Amino acid sequence: MIKVNHLKKSFGKNVVLKDLNEEVSQGEVVVVIGPSGSGKSTFLRCLNLLEEPTGGEIVFEGTTLTGLKEKEMNQLRQKMGMVFQQFNLFPHKTAKENLTIAPVKSKGVNQMEADNKAVKLLDQVGLGDKADAYPASLSGGQQQRVAIARALAMDPDVMLFDEPTSALDPEMVGEVLKVMKDLAKSGITMIVVTHEMGFAREVADRVLFMDDGYIVEQGTPENIFTQPAHERTQDFLAKVL
Amino acid sequence: MKKGIQGILLMILLWTGLFVSSDVVSAEDGSALKRVQDEGVLVVGTSADFPPFEFYAEVDGERQVVGMDMMIAQKIADDLGVELEIQDIGFDSLLPALEARNVDIVIAGMTPTAERRKSVDFSEIYFKTFQNIMVRAEDEEVYTSLESLKGLPIGVQSGSLQEGLAEQIEDAELMSLTNLSDLLLALKTNRIEAMVMQGPNAEAHAGNDEDLHTFVGAFEMEDDDAGSAVAFRQGEDSLVAAVNESLAEIAEQNLTDEYLAVAGEYMAQSEDSEAEESGFAANYWDYFWDGTSITLLISAVSVLVGLILGFILALMRLSKSLVLKGLATAYVEFVRGTPLLIQVMFIYFASGLVVNLPALAAGIIAVSLNSGAYIAEIIRGGINSVNKGQEEAARSLGMSKKEAMRHIIFPQAVKNIWPALGNEFITIIKESSIVSVIGVGELIFQTRVVRSISFQGILPLFVAMLIYFALTFTLTKLLNFYEGRMNHD
Repeated sequence: MIKVNHLKKSFGKNVVLKDLNEEVSQGEVVVVIGPSGSGKSTFLRCLNLLEEPTGGEIVFEGTTLTGLKEKEMNQLRQKMGMVFQQFNLFPHKTAKENLTIAPVKSKGVNQMEADNKAVKLLDQVGLGDKADAYPASLSGGQQQRVAIARALAMDPDVMLFDEPTSALDPEMVGEVLKVMKDLAKSGITMIVVTHEMGFAREVADRVLFMDDGYIVEQGTPENIFTQPAHERTQDFLAKVL
Repeated sequence: MKKGIQGILLMILLWTGLFVSSDVVSAEDGSALKRVQDEGVLVVGTSADFPPFEFYAEVDGERQVVGMDMMIAQKIADDLGVELEIQDIGFDSLLPALEARNVDIVIAGMTPTAERRKSVDFSEIYFKTFQNIMVRAEDEEVYTSLESLKGLPIGVQSGSLQEGLAEQIEDAELMSLTNLSDLLLALKTNRIEAMVMQGPNAEAHAGNDEDLHTFVGAFEMEDDDAGSAVAFRQGEDSLVAAVNESLAEIAEQNLTDEYLAVAGEYMAQSEDSEAEESGFAANYWDYFWDGTSITLLISAVSVLVGLILGFILALMRLSKSLVLKGLATAYVEFVRGTPLLIQVMFIYFASGLVVNLPALAAGIIAVSLNSGAYIAEIIRGGINSVNKGQEEAARSLGMSKKEAMRHIIFPQAVKNIWPALGNEFITIIKESSIVSVIGVGELIFQTRVVRSISFQGILPLFVAMLIYFALTFTLTKLLNFYEGRMNHD
């Protein structure tokens, strides 16, 4: 479903992604782990072109994204939901409006339909009673759950998570992970950058270990966590586990 | 930055072009008389704070500029068979307005000094006059001659004949102000010890104010300096001749005496009404009301146009196109880097060379263009202050750049910039007073008028201050109310 060939990205002289090759299939849950600065987030942000790759190509559902026109890119982005570390909810909109604005304004869904769907999705993430609350009155965990529901409101084919629990207080991590686990069970394709090794172990179909702009090693959680082949993977796991 | 410099150069080029073409226009000498007759209107510039020559009074319930000079103007217009239109402009700005073709002639008790003759032509002298010294009544015995004023602070109207004459007072410390009312106030509040004033004008003031005393000053004057004449653009010989004909008739029939008598009646009338009615505010409320309306009109239109212009400029500055960015940056930097006063005068006088833009329109345009630059920076800052994550989130949902700007970024920017925008609105209300220099009848201008006709220095200032405060305070409260409604934190 997503194919990445020789993806490269640099910021000025700083080369962040050196040569990435990867393929994610329909329904797969891929977790990306690795030390800070290894390029995990940049990799994820390149997938929906929030960062313009410096080289290589990304093919999504048969369409090459790199070099696409603005308008076509916008339509393809609608199929790729993204959840950010800092939630990035729209502070001037209620929870429900956060979910409906993009479907109504960009996809042409009518307001009633969008509203109904928003209520259902908020229920699904356990926030049915917060539909009319503004983000500022919600806790971090609640905000991130709204953000997940907001991405789902566009009916994406793939969900990208960029360290979704890193900005949360520890007691709120659980509620967000639970929503993500439920989501994984529903069969949607997910690519998750995270430091939550427990989540990776439990939910991932496949784990990628990135370091220094390369995918150093990949495999089933079982393989990576119990018999890491690469020395750098062993080092990293020794530090975090 | 390089783009910015190019933009500025472009602007300078455009403006130079304007001036070059203006030279071509003014080279068609002698066209003024024909134009006046073709259009059927004689536009006379004056500075209506100079009783008994030009001042405001009620005529059949309407406020008008009256006085001896205005009756002479009416006579000239009648003789030419055209309508008379009077434009009240600050004395300083009269000759620029004449040269920039905002007015056809200037009648303002103006003395044809050698200095002025360099830039404009004059008619025959229509009124011989003398020059007075004005002092406080309590100093009547102390200051009796020019010699007694040696080394003291002396007030004069800037750009006036008196400014030159005052130099004859040994070691005098000159204080030059545009406005006679300000000078009189300075005298009464002991900031200056005496003023040099045109004789009849000084007598008019002293006659209306028991705190003042005036006497004829023994100045050495050239013949030309002893009288008033009508000013023309250079080379308008046919118009000069026509006006001289009317003036000759006035001299023959001794009409100036008659005119002065009528002017005296108007002055007495304003004095009477003052005595009759109870309060100062009640008497002059019309003036303040008119001024406030114009101030509000200028501010409202300027804010609106400024907002639209500012929004466009902000988007240009944020755009990827280097040309748009450069143009907008050059505009903003240039406008912010030059005083509004000069912009107002520039637009009014420069436009006079091309089209006859009314002073109010010129003032509104200048203030709008000025506030556009400031609002552009406020909006740009507001947009930049919205967290980058907001745009990313919107784009990640598939919204286009435009949709993200409109539905996500801009509403949040508005909230961020609201207080700064409110400040700008308040600033505009206050700064719009600058357009009074080109004779727009806004609050400051009307305050000046009230000061000159009421012979009161401080009270009108106080009333104007209260009105400004009422306006800005109301606006602040209104803006706070809407700010509160936008707040979801």
